[in-house]
Amino acid sequence: MDLATVESRAEPRAFSPKHDLPEEYRTGATRMLQFHANSEIMGAYLEKPFIRQSPSLDRKLAFSAKVQDEIGHGQLLYRAAEALGVKTREQMLDELANGEGKFLNCFHYEMTDWWETPMIAFFVDGAAMKRQATLKNSSWEPYAHAMDKICFEEGFHIKHGEDVLRELATGSKREQKLLQEAFEEWWPRILQFFGPTDDQSTHHDFMAKVGLKTASNDELRQAFLNSYVPKAEKYGLEIPDEPRIHYDEDAGGYVLEEDDLDWEEFFAITKNDYEPGLNQIDTRAAAQEAVEWVRTSLDASDSPAAAAAGGD
Amino acid sequence: MRYEVFRQDKPGAYHTHCGDVHAPDREMALLFAQIQHGRRMQTNSLWVVPKEEIGEVDTDEAAFGGTTDKAYRWATTYNVDASFAEEIEASEREQAAEERKRGSDD
Ligand SMILES: [Fe+2]
Ligand SMILES: [Fe+2]
Repeated sequence: MDLATVESRAEPRAFSPKHDLPEEYRTGATRMLQFHANSEIMGAYLEKPFIRQSPSLDRKLAFSAKVQDEIGHGQLLYRAAEALGVKTREQMLDELANGEGKFLNCFHYEMTDWWETPMIAFFVDGAAMKRQATLKNSSWEPYAHAMDKICFEEGFHIKHGEDVLRELATGSKREQKLLQEAFEEWWPRILQFFGPTDDQSTHHDFMAKVGLKTASNDELRQAFLNSYVPKAEKYGLEIPDEPRIHYDEDAGGYVLEEDDLDWEEFFAITKNDYEPGLNQIDTRAAAQEAVEWVRTSLDASDSPAAAAAGGD
Repeated sequence: MRYEVFRQDKPGAYHTHCGDVHAPDREMALLFAQIQHGRRMQTNSLWVVPKEEIGEVDTDEAAFGGTTDKAYRWATTYNVDASFAEEIEASEREQAAEERKRGSDD
């Protein structure tokens, strides 16, 4: 299939591994899926400490289930990426460990305190869901199928995240103050989740033409603000004065002054050059190395597991 | 030899199990599958798989989803309003439907 044919047939779920797809499509889809899969994994590592640190057994259980889900999302997406025949899962995991693999800006920051958790579990997962719901219409069928399962599970993540937010927002004065501080710290990062405005985003046109993306950054950011600003306000969170946002009837919702955001930091992050974030990458790399023996023993032809499975 | 047949009704949809055929080889199995399973129901593609290639684990051997109360991992457990975003509402709806199928023990 040549590129023109791909463009003319780029319906939702149109292409599967049985199709002979051009290089540009396969590398574009791989880049997108690898980024998405990496982000699931890095997000899970950010929340993992709260399986211990959460203040109650219920919260610990919920975070344990959520982290398992996120790792599962990563695995599903690596499979959908592998099916394109460009990179293997091992390659992608190694690239994530050695700092080549790219992932979402928000997961480059540290999260240390309980009152920060709704920033990820409610706002970032919520932003991700805005995008993921549109990816159910991706032209790469394995991507869309992965989205069916992921979107099914995410309802729990976001409602649980909101439940934590509600608890803190209606808690003690101290909790409310710490929550507000966490919000002020994370809010600009959350606004950058969708990246810069479309005309500054390099890959968008191609990805839209071949049906890998069905909504633009701007549309998604707009939809996110419309849903989540009222939620923040409902819980008494004060939207910081900067970056400026205002409600604009004609634009159909909230409009963001993009220049108020720190794009220098954002672009350093997208290249994995943001110094404080390297710790996130290295921590996961160390974990991958620590369980290397499990992978090796499963792969080894003479291992008991392989023998039991009739491996050769 | 027995082959299990999975039908996909339109491009991009899931292949779901719809029956089996007996055939001496894969080529004949593909032909029989077309006639038996792809003739009346709308069909875009069929997967035909030798029975012995399919692994199975069922509720006799496995406790799918565990045996303890896992209410904490269902959207319906959390008493916050999901209607502010249609994609969250949709996810909650799917989970509620699934929960009903499973009974309320998980
Ligand atoms: Fe996820
Ligand atoms: Fe999630």
